[in-house]
Formats: sequence, C-alpha cells, structure tokens
Amino acid sequence: MSDSDHIIEPHTSTLHTRRQFLRTSMLGAAVSFTLPVFLQKTFFTLDAMAADSAIQTVNGKDGPILVVLQLAGGNDGMNTVVPYGDDIYYRSRPVIGIPKNTVIPLNDYAGLNPQLAGLKGLYDEGHLSVLQGVGYPNPNRSHFRSTEIWQTASDADKVEQYGWLGRYFDSCCKGADPTVGVAIGNQVPQSFSAADPTGVSFARPEQYRWVNGDKSGGSENVYRHMNEPEMDPATLDENDGGSVDSLAGASAPSHRESTLEFLQRTALDAQLSSDKVLEIAKKYPASVSYPRTALGDSLSLVGRMIAGGLATRVYYVSQGGYDTHVNQAGTHTRLMTELNDGLVAFSKDLKAQGNFGRVTLMTFSEFGRRVAQNASNGTDHGAAAPMFVMGGGIKPGLFGAYPSLNTLNAGDLAYNLDFRSVYATLLDKWLRAPSKEVLGRQFPLLGIV
Amino acid sequence: MLTPLLAHQWDLQKAAHLLNRAGFGGTPDEIKAFCELGFEHAVQLVLDGPDDSTQFPKPVWAQPQNLLQLHNQMMTLTPDEKKEMQQEIQKQYRQDDLDLINWWLSRMRYSPNPFREKMTLFWHGHFATSVAKVRDSYLMWLQNEMLREHAYGNFGLMVKAISRDPAMLIWLDTRESKKDHPNENFAREVMELFTLGIGNYTENDVQQGAKAFTGYRIDPRDETFRYAPFQHDESVKQFLGRTGPFTGDDVIDIILDQPACARFITRKLWTFYAYEDPDPQLVEALASNFRGSSYEIRPLMNTLFRSAEFYSPDAVRSQIKSPVQWVIQTSKVLETPLPRPQVTVNALRQLGQVPFAPPNVKGWDGGRAWITTSTLLYRYNMANFAIGNGTLHIEPVKKVANPNAMAGPVSYDARNFNAPDLAKVIPAAVRTDPHRLVDYLCFRLYQDPLTPKDKETFVQYLAAKGPNPDDNTLRELLHLMMSTPQYQLT
Repeated sequence: MSDSDHIIEPHTSTLHTRRQFLRTSMLGAAVSFTLPVFLQKTFFTLDAMAADSAIQTVNGKDGPILVVLQLAGGNDGMNTVVPYGDDIYYRSRPVIGIPKNTVIPLNDYAGLNPQLAGLKGLYDEGHLSVLQGVGYPNPNRSHFRSTEIWQTASDADKVEQYGWLGRYFDSCCKGADPTVGVAIGNQVPQSFSAADPTGVSFARPEQYRWVNGDKSGGSENVYRHMNEPEMDPATLDENDGGSVDSLAGASAPSHRESTLEFLQRTALDAQLSSDKVLEIAKKYPASVSYPRTALGDSLSLVGRMIAGGLATRVYYVSQGGYDTHVNQAGTHTRLMTELNDGLVAFSKDLKAQGNFGRVTLMTFSEFGRRVAQNASNGTDHGAAAPMFVMGGGIKPGLFGAYPSLNTLNAGDLAYNLDFRSVYATLLDKWLRAPSKEVLGRQFPLLGIV
Repeated sequence: MLTPLLAHQWDLQKAAHLLNRAGFGGTPDEIKAFCELGFEHAVQLVLDGPDDSTQFPKPVWAQPQNLLQLHNQMMTLTPDEKKEMQQEIQKQYRQDDLDLINWWLSRMRYSPNPFREKMTLFWHGHFATSVAKVRDSYLMWLQNEMLREHAYGNFGLMVKAISRDPAMLIWLDTRESKKDHPNENFAREVMELFTLGIGNYTENDVQQGAKAFTGYRIDPRDETFRYAPFQHDESVKQFLGRTGPFTGDDVIDIILDQPACARFITRKLWTFYAYEDPDPQLVEALASNFRGSSYEIRPLMNTLFRSAEFYSPDAVRSQIKSPVQWVIQTSKVLETPLPRPQVTVNALRQLGQVPFAPPNVKGWDGGRAWITTSTLLYRYNMANFAIGNGTLHIEPVKKVANPNAMAGPVSYDARNFNAPDLAKVIPAAVRTDPHRLVDYLCFRLYQDPLTPKDKETFVQYLAAKGPNPDDNTLRELLHLMMSTPQYQLT
C-alpha cells in the first residue's frame, strides 16, 4: 500500500464553490441553508474527500468497521488456545488443565477451549484468525498499567497521553460525525482518549437522550434551540461563491473556537447522534437471537447500529470477569461459552445483514496468566496471550508461534508478536489509516487482512 | 506583569467569579453578601478561612492496620478461609472507598473554608494518585489530609512530604526501589509531572535521581513511612549538573533551585484558577515571586486573586466545570444536600472524575476533555435528577469500584428525594414577571446574563405556560436552563 492511500485531505480540484458543494453534497441534502458554519466546513471537507473514490471517507456508510472486544481482567490465554501437545502444560496445571481429549485441535500442538466450537467453525470457513503469543516487551502485570499500555499502544516504560483509537480519530477522522467511535457501555474507553475528543458511549440507546419532565410540551424546542451553535444567516451568503482554497483548511477553524462554541458544537453532536441512535434502535430490532448475557446484549446493539447504517468506524465492547485467581475452571468455562455464543450470534447477524465483509472484530486482554495454576486452583497475572481476529474480510489462519513453555521470561510466556503489529495491520490494511502516524512508529504488518 | 484590580472595579460578577474559582460557588444571597464585603475583605475572607477539622472528623475506619499481623494471621488459614477473608477485606475496602469519596465531597460542599478544599483538589490532580493501585482507603485518606495541610503552605515541603507519602510510595513503586535495583518511576514523575515538566531534565537525571530515593519503605506494622538505610544507595550522584551523595530530599532541593519549577507550577495553577495558555510574561512574573518567596503558595494565590487579569474576559466564565465542581456547585446553587454516595459516585464516574481515582499519574486532563456527547447528555440528565424530575440510572457499587468486575447484580434507577425547595430557590416575588424570573435564575445558575435572544427563548417558554407558573413548570425551567452549554461554564 502506498503512502498516497493515506492522504485524507480535501481535494481542492474536485469542487469549486460552496454553492456547488451544497448542490452536490451527499450530506448537504439533509441540511438547510441555515447550516451552522462549522458544519458547512465539516461537510465540505468530507464531501471533497468523498469525491476521491480512492480515499476512504470517514463518514461513508459502507466503509470498513472495526469492533474491539476487550476481555477485561486478564484472560487465561493458555486455557483459551490450549497447548495440549505439551506435557509441561499438564504438569503445570494438574487441576485446571483442559483434558486433551476435549480440546478442539488447530494443529497437533495447540487447540481451542472446548467451549469455542463456534469459533472453530468460523476458523474452518475462513473467517477467524488466531494470533498466538501476543504481548509486548517488559510486560507489566498490573491490570491498571497493562490495560493502559494496550489502550494507548505505548511502550511499557512510557506514558502515552492519548489512546490508540483516539489518535486514529485525531489523524483521520477530523470533522467526522461523533458516532465515528461508539463504545457500548457507560464510559468512553481510554483508547478513545484524544487531543480532539470524539466518539460516543451508551449502554442502552433509550438512555442516550435528553430526558425531560415536561408533559405539556415546549421543552424539546427550547432544548434544541439552546443546544446548537448560534446561526448567522449572513455567514453563508458571505462565503457563497468563495474559492475553495480558502476553505480547504476548514477543519482547522480560522479563529480559536471559544469554550462556549465548543460546548455548542458538542451539544449539537449529542443531539444529532442521540436522534440517530434512537431512530436506529427503534427501526432495527436484532435480526438474530443473541445469548442473554452482557456481551450478547452489547454485540446485539452493535449489530443493530451497523444494520441501521450508523457512520461508525470503531465499536468498542467489553466482557468482564477474566481475573480468575481462585477456582477458575467453572468461571472460565462460562466466560468462554459467553464469548463463543456471542461471537457466533454476531457473525450470523452480520451475515444475514450482508455486512459481514465490512466488519472485523479483534479481541484483546491486558495480559495472559501464569503457566502454572496457583494454590487456589486459579491463575495469577502473566504476560503473552492469544488474540482472535474475526470477520468476513480477513485472512484466516494461525499466526505467530505458540510461546515456549520451556523458556519462560520471568516465569511467564514470552511474547513473539507485538500487539502493536496487530493494531498497525488493522489500521493500515483494514481502516486504511497511516499506522505509523497513529502509533508513532512503523510496526511490522501481519498477513491477517 | 500583573495589574492589581482596583477596589472600585469590584462588582457582583467579580465576586461570583472569585467564589466560583476559589471555591465551589454560592447562592445569590451569598454572592451579594460576599460582594458587599468589598474587594479587600473578600479576598482576605477567602485566604483566611477557618480551620474546619473539628467539623469534619476523620472517618471511623481511617486507622492504620497492622499488615504484618494480618499477614501472619492469614498464613494460618485454610485456602477457603483465606478466600473468605480476602473477599471480606475487598468488600470492606469498597465500602471505605465510597465513604472516603463522600467524606471529601461533603467537606467541599459544607466546609466554611472551601478554598482549602479547592486547593486540595488541585493538588490531588497534580500529585494524582489512584486507589485503583494503592487499594488502601486509609492511605488515600492520609494523603488527602497531607495535601490539605500543605494546600497553601510551602510547595517544597509538600514535595518532600509526597516523596514519603505511603500512598505515593505504592503508587509510583518507590517502596520497591532497592539499592541494587532502583525503580525510576517516582524519580521520573517527580520531575516530569510534579515539578519541572518534560524537557527540563535528562534520562540520566532520572537514573541518578532514582538512586537517591532508594530505601523508602512502608512499615507494615502501622503503615507509616520508614527509611531503610541498608537499602539506600549512598553513592555519589550526578543530578541536574551537581555532584554529591544526594539523598531524596537533596534531590528535591536541587529541583526547587531550577527556575523551570516555579514556572511549571505557576502556569498550572493559573490554568486551573484563571484560564488556559497564560502569557509567558505573566507566568514569569508570578514564577519569579514564587521562587523568591521560597515557594510559599498563599502569597502566590493572594497575588492571583488580586490581579485584574484574574477578572478579565479571558477568565470569567471561560472554564468548563469539572465534574466535581458541577456536582458541588449544583448542590450549592439549588440549596440541596448532596445525593446519596452511590448516586454521586456513579455520576462522577460517568462524567469522568472520581476523586481518589484519577485515570493515571498525569491526573485529569480537564478543560474540554471533560466534555463528550455522552458526558454532556449525562450532565443534562443529571440536572433533571438534581431538580427531582427524573430518575438516574446507576450501576452497583462493585462495578463502580472496579469496572472490570463481572456484570453482577443489575443496575437500577435511583430517585432523588432531596429535590430543591422551589419556594426558596425561586422566591415568589420574581415569579410574577417572566423577564424577572429568567434574569433571577440566570444569576442563580450562571452568575451571568444570557444573550437577549437566548433569554427570549426562556421568556417565551414561560409565556406559553400562562401566568403564575406552577411547580412543574418551574422545575422544568430549571432543568432546561441547566441543560445548556452555559450551565457547564464557570
């Protein structure tokens, strides 16, 4: 892929005047002449980008989608992708080792947890890749710190201010609709943290809205009026017919946006995205049945938003409960079942929608766990672990070598795939974003996409 | 240079501004009374607030534990008993953590010296330490008290105190730093984030500085700081251009000698209290005085609060309320008690600022980073809750304390039983005329008039409801006026 694919700049030659922009804009049709100035600029930029078909515009409803699934708490990688061909595994885990005859083989050394039969199905049909031994140098075993390292794609000894997805939004999605990043849950994840924050989060669409207690009406209009930028009808006329060049840098406002203007802009974003999310939630009930679990609910919601055409590049979903220090067998089995059933339902949903080819899902966890079980038949914090990458547009297979159970690094599995190579690949080859710019340096790309 | 504000320039809006920034705001009556004191006395009242420690006694659980004893006790237990005990400790810790947050929020809300609490909040964001790693509510409380003690005392003493603070020793791994294997975490952050800022030291300074902070331990018998001389590296260090067998305190003294230190701190204080991106000359003027006074914070704040720049259009209503400011100030302007601890902590988590749990050692980014579409909508809906209109969706405490916890019990909708007393918040005298009513609420909520156009929007809303608006209309008007960008400003 050449560098030119990464240029996401408005092509000034494609459009000549604002009037023409408004006539031809895919978004212009939806807005009246009282369009706020910042939106005119934003739409203009996007529209100019859309005009160059070689470039993936961030607002396109047919663009690639990345779903990031966090397995929070530190998933036991060795009981997820099981090194069943290694005696050391069974010696280290006499109680919690997965019996050889139940493992679903991927090759004669490693196989999937017996609960992951659905994932094996996806693997066989060419829609799942399994990455073994993913981690980073000098692994940190604190949930807090290691999660931060994964979320910000930093080196272990550096604190990075912004999240890796936030930096992607910053560098490639300027001026995009705030639903460019959607986190299912109540918080915006640290990975969305950005210099110019964008992205929305909601757990239940029906709560992602302004609630008012006025039964007799009137409030809604006041709310809408107060939560949009001041409109000056003169502005449009003033600029109409102006040369494109003066607008080319539109994503950088000519004056520093005041705090009030910033708030008004965000307030309008909130209104518009809330309207859209609610509308989609109403129009698109889940088309397939999902397991009644927190993960199932979240993935179902993502499925509905994708079906409804929300202009989202990145969805973020989390499954908790992986911190299995004590008597882990039952808990981990349940988690694997939920993961398997959730992902199978999600892939079915996307296939039924015809959207499977535009969606790639990636799992990650802050760390794997120690090789040996502990005194409480659980496992303590470890290091390298596998990741799954699923989707209709990926290259399937088993990537990376299983870390040696013989040669450990401070008692833990040594990584042989840097997780930032996975990020870089998904950025460069899937989202078509310059990974070097987003991640600060070029990581080797993998053949997963 | 800073220009002093003149006494005759003092007015209601400046009084409100000082109350908002130095503390957490006030009611219309409080602002008026404060204004009538005159500029001189008003600033003095802020800086000479009373000691409120008898009013806010330490929480009953805030006692050191004998960790050694606890450890020995646990060694005698069966695995099942141990598990049970660990779960019990976890449960207690979550409870204490919630109580601790509430203890501090109440102090912010009701202290007769809100300036001290606001400064403590600043230093908490500056020496950002999180219970997520420290996992000991007592030590978090202890650090909070230490920051309060030094809040507008001497910065140098505060940095030395933080270098020995047990919660900090855990947070930045100093307690694990050994002579043969110094941990660089604290040495790096003390320069990068606490005193100098990046670019004012080298990697070598970090490595050499780390040696000076070796041998700092926590005594497991009573959770106090303990110096372990055998773990201290007594060798000669080269640090910021000087050479000697420096101790940790020596290193801090050398740092305080750097002009960059006073600049770094005054810039950050100015940003927190006045506005972002202050002019370098302004910072330089403040910084040279700060250094000249051996880092006394109170005189610095005195200069700041007396400067015309602090009351300039760049400053007044240019800030976005932090979530903590939003919660405390809302409770003040609506003259209501704080919501239940679970509700408040839930809300603060949604809004992005849980005290004692900053996201990382850099603290909260603040400013525009507080606002996303979700947090803004949440603020609006939190306003609906605050006026007693709607319910608020909250998660169980376990999930609040540990977002990685399993789903567990289902979340629920909380109701507010402490809605504002409308008779008090909106006096009958102002209700007869929509213009007067909106003006009155503008002052109560924003301490600032709206643009004529925006004001008209609310006046029309009231007019459509007919004369003598009922309580529902008034409540909804409050909600509407708080569901605005304007209400997020201070």
